[in-house]
Amino acid sequence: MPTTRADVRPDLVVDFDIYDPALTMPVDRMQERTAELAKVGPIVWSPAYGGHWLVTAYDEVHEILRDPATFSSYPNNLVDAGQGKFLPIELDPPEHTSYRQALQPLFNPTRMRALEPRIRELVVELIEKFQGAGRVEFVEEFAHELPTTVFLALMGWPLEDAPMFTEATEIAMNGKPGDTPEQAVASRTEAAMQMFGYFMQIIHTRRAAAEAGEELDDITTAVMKTRIKDAEGVERDLTDDELARMFFLLLIAGLHTVQGTLCWMMLHLSTNTDQRDTVIADADAIPAAVEEVLRYESQIAMGRRAVRDVEIGGVTIKADDQLLLLLCSANRDDSQFADPQSLQVDRTPNRHLAFGSGPHRCIGSHLARVELRIAMEEIHKRIPDYRLDPEDPAVVLPSQVRGFARLPLLFTPVTSS
Amino acid sequence: MDRYLTVDRGACAGHGLCYGAAPEIVDCDDQGDPIILTEPVPDGMVGQAEHVVDICPERALALQESLQESPSA
Ligand code: HEM
Ligand code: SF4
Repeated sequence: MPTTRADVRPDLVVDFDIYDPALTMPVDRMQERTAELAKVGPIVWSPAYGGHWLVTAYDEVHEILRDPATFSSYPNNLVDAGQGKFLPIELDPPEHTSYRQALQPLFNPTRMRALEPRIRELVVELIEKFQGAGRVEFVEEFAHELPTTVFLALMGWPLEDAPMFTEATEIAMNGKPGDTPEQAVASRTEAAMQMFGYFMQIIHTRRAAAEAGEELDDITTAVMKTRIKDAEGVERDLTDDELARMFFLLLIAGLHTVQGTLCWMMLHLSTNTDQRDTVIADADAIPAAVEEVLRYESQIAMGRRAVRDVEIGGVTIKADDQLLLLLCSANRDDSQFADPQSLQVDRTPNRHLAFGSGPHRCIGSHLARVELRIAMEEIHKRIPDYRLDPEDPAVVLPSQVRGFARLPLLFTPVTSS
Repeated sequence: MDRYLTVDRGACAGHGLCYGAAPEIVDCDDQGDPIILTEPVPDGMVGQAEHVVDICPERALALQESLQESPSA
């Protein structure tokens, strides 16, 4: 029998729903709220969504991420959009391993570093478009554009499709604004179906090209050629359905996350100007500064489900209990980080878990780091005095991948040469 | 005294902080796993080697006096 509210020590029961808009609107109070939860205990209980455990402390999060035999990755989402399993993020080892090994080389550090010149060109081009204006809505004009354009080029998908799948992905994850909970399930399912339709088209285009002898050189084609070892050790091709689930995950995992981190970089450096001065003065400080921004606002809260009864963090978790791992509070745990509430761009060591840990540790981290580092370099060369617009505040959205809808910024305009 | 940098393959999760911080000592393979380049670590690089041992989130790196293969390698 999974845990019910009656089984939980009353002082560990908290009122928390990660999808509650009041957490981030009108002002983002997520860190404040999760710090309060962390004070209650390393693992606490929320009655929302049929009841689930919230893991707030670094050591417990780390241990759970590294123990997939006890804590399954399915389901990773508290709310199911009816799309079935995302691959490979919702598979457990050993099934997970062969998908992972197929994807990992496509995003390995050497390949991602080779993209640097193209990414830099794109970053400069985006900044040049708005640098004369002295103001920018940073999400739309930069933070969204950069990862989307880089990702589409890697995958070989048409750039003009971006608005369609941006909207569909947003709805698939968060429902439509103003939806009731029931409507949200319906909108999410519909949007997920729309995306699957899109991926089927992409797959067919590749197949037709291959038959015509014009194989494309992109990650989509590489993924389609992947051979997987099934449970009996027999090699086989991926099915169309599996391909679609993998592409959908790459899209969800690779865009929103980089977008959010870029926005937090601007937000926090604009309010910690001494830290920003370090970054402006010394480009060599930037890689560590990127890691600190990742630690400071870790946006992901991943789900796990216990497969057996287990004692951890002073509580007994029962088989089939759902858990939600709050990276944002784990990465501000003072048993791991000195003065965790302060942003220190030269923090070392900085063993943050923003990319997770264990078998599912982020495959895209090398790409994300290149994008974040180059953006930080070029922005601080060009518009270093950016600040928040007091008339037009940022809009942050909650959910298991917290992120920005808007981030208006002001800065001294750059007169074109 | 020679010093060797070793990776516990069972503990390493491919965070890539080591080869990001000290590419002269640690490179990476196709899967993003670390490859130790210098055996033993040259005297002038021991400080950097100590640094990468310190930053690894999984405590997977160690500086040792002899080369021991980790059991899960
Ligand atoms: C700042 C940016 C990013 C952050 C903070 C981030 C964070 C994460 C985290 C925490 C996980 C682990 C989830 C879990 O254990 O359940 C993960 C997995 C994953 N990420 Fe990222 N990510 C980022 C960027 C990217 C990019 C750019 C890509 C793709 C190109 C990507 C692709 C993936 C994939 C495929 C997985 C699943 C790996 C597996 O299941 O083995 N991520 N990411
Ligand atoms: S920093 Fe540690 S976990 Fe990351 S790749 Fe290096 S050895 Fe592995």
